[in-house]
Amino acid sequence: MKRTNSSARRCAVVGLALALTGAAAAADPAGTAAPAGNDPSQFARGAQTWAATCARCHNMRDPKELRDDQWRAVVAHMRVRANLTGQEARDVLAFLQESN
Amino acid sequence: MAASPPAGQQIETLRIAVDRANQTANSARRSADEWRNTRAVTHLAGYAAAGYASQDNGADSFDVANFNPIFHFQYADRVLWESELEVEVEEDGSTGVALEYSAINIFVNDYLTFGAGKFVSPIGNFRQNIHPAWINKLPSAPPGFGHDGAAPLAEVGFQLRGGLPIGDRSKVTYTGYVGNGPKLEGEDGELHGVDTDGFTGDPDDEKVVGGRLTLLPVPSLEIGVSGAFGDAAVVENDGLDFEGDPARDYEVLGADFSYRWHTLDLRGEYVQQDIGDAAGSIVPEGGKWETWYLQGAYQFAEAKWEGVLRYTDFDSPHPDQTQEQWSVGLNYLLTPNAILKLGYEFNDGLAGEETDEDRWLLQVAYGY
Repeated sequence: MKRTNSSARRCAVVGLALALTGAAAAADPAGTAAPAGNDPSQFARGAQTWAATCARCHNMRDPKELRDDQWRAVVAHMRVRANLTGQEARDVLAFLQESN
Repeated sequence: MAASPPAGQQIETLRIAVDRANQTANSARRSADEWRNTRAVTHLAGYAAAGYASQDNGADSFDVANFNPIFHFQYADRVLWESELEVEVEEDGSTGVALEYSAINIFVNDYLTFGAGKFVSPIGNFRQNIHPAWINKLPSAPPGFGHDGAAPLAEVGFQLRGGLPIGDRSKVTYTGYVGNGPKLEGEDGELHGVDTDGFTGDPDDEKVVGGRLTLLPVPSLEIGVSGAFGDAAVVENDGLDFEGDPARDYEVLGADFSYRWHTLDLRGEYVQQDIGDAAGSIVPEGGKWETWYLQGAYQFAEAKWEGVLRYTDFDSPHPDQTQEQWSVGLNYLLTPNAILKLGYEFNDGLAGEETDEDRWLLQVAYGY
């Protein structure tokens, strides 16, 4: 039984590694996600995601609390912690940077 | 009275002055744009808290003075290294410093992030997202969500995480990780606790694999399930380091939810850590640590005030750890991230133990 459990865990480790390898191969080669640019609905999408996602855990912080560059790091942190998609993170960042 | 310079000379002087003004303006504009457009960003965030506790047995003290700086180092939309320190004043006046987490996160694509290092345990929601003092709506953590509790605290290893939208309003999120797992502590021939602070050593030589999956059918509702499986071994017995104890099964199961309706916030979480028996061990018998809580919070008076009610039931193999608690709180939000919290805990534990003492708690917390 112990051997079975160990094998299953090793399989899981290898599976994680393979998933990472496959995902890395599909990654954006430029290393930076393209900004939405002139997407007119990005501000609205960002406001909606900000209101729905951030408030699920904590009080809503004032967009004017931080500068544009500071929001970049904070949104990147929340992208990890809240499992935001890249698009959600870019939308929220655009909203915060236009509202501060 | 001196004669005025010729008109041509005046115009030339004026032109030079305008050129210099333009150069100064351009230089200032370039300087201003520099911090907006750099690829790398360094940022300091974090939170701090100070508090006072008064128990019904007469013991009272200013028992909390800590701050947790969080360092963010980001490169473009690709890499984020984040590290959090926990700095606190101990009972004897010394300063305790611990590395809460330190991990590199690589944004592989829009739906996948790879993390490596020491990270907050992805099991459940409280440890990952709710435990910072300015976020937690009560002055204390629910019993079982601290050291030697039922919920793992941190892990050292790799993790993959991300989110996938389903239609316009729904979403699933996932986190999978592999790490060294916990260490076990023995005392008087019994398993005293499960140490889950996150370690760079792995005495049992078997990795722990786990994760959390959540479904958000609508943005205001999140339902999550968590699990982890692996081995653990006793490395400390009666306060002394101990080597060579056999590995035994380690299992974690959890479920959580959160729901928000206007300014009403409801959440709950269940988690258990189960340690198997191990014949031949210095501590043969395993044990199960199990806890759950339900919490409701409501903001009123233009979200400046907040009432909180929480029930927690923590079961441990050791009667002196087991605790049932009702906690009520009233908060005043100085700002959305600076909160004054007053709480009262009705505690029911083993008679004579601190877990049985009701207490008042006062705390001020600030997230920055």
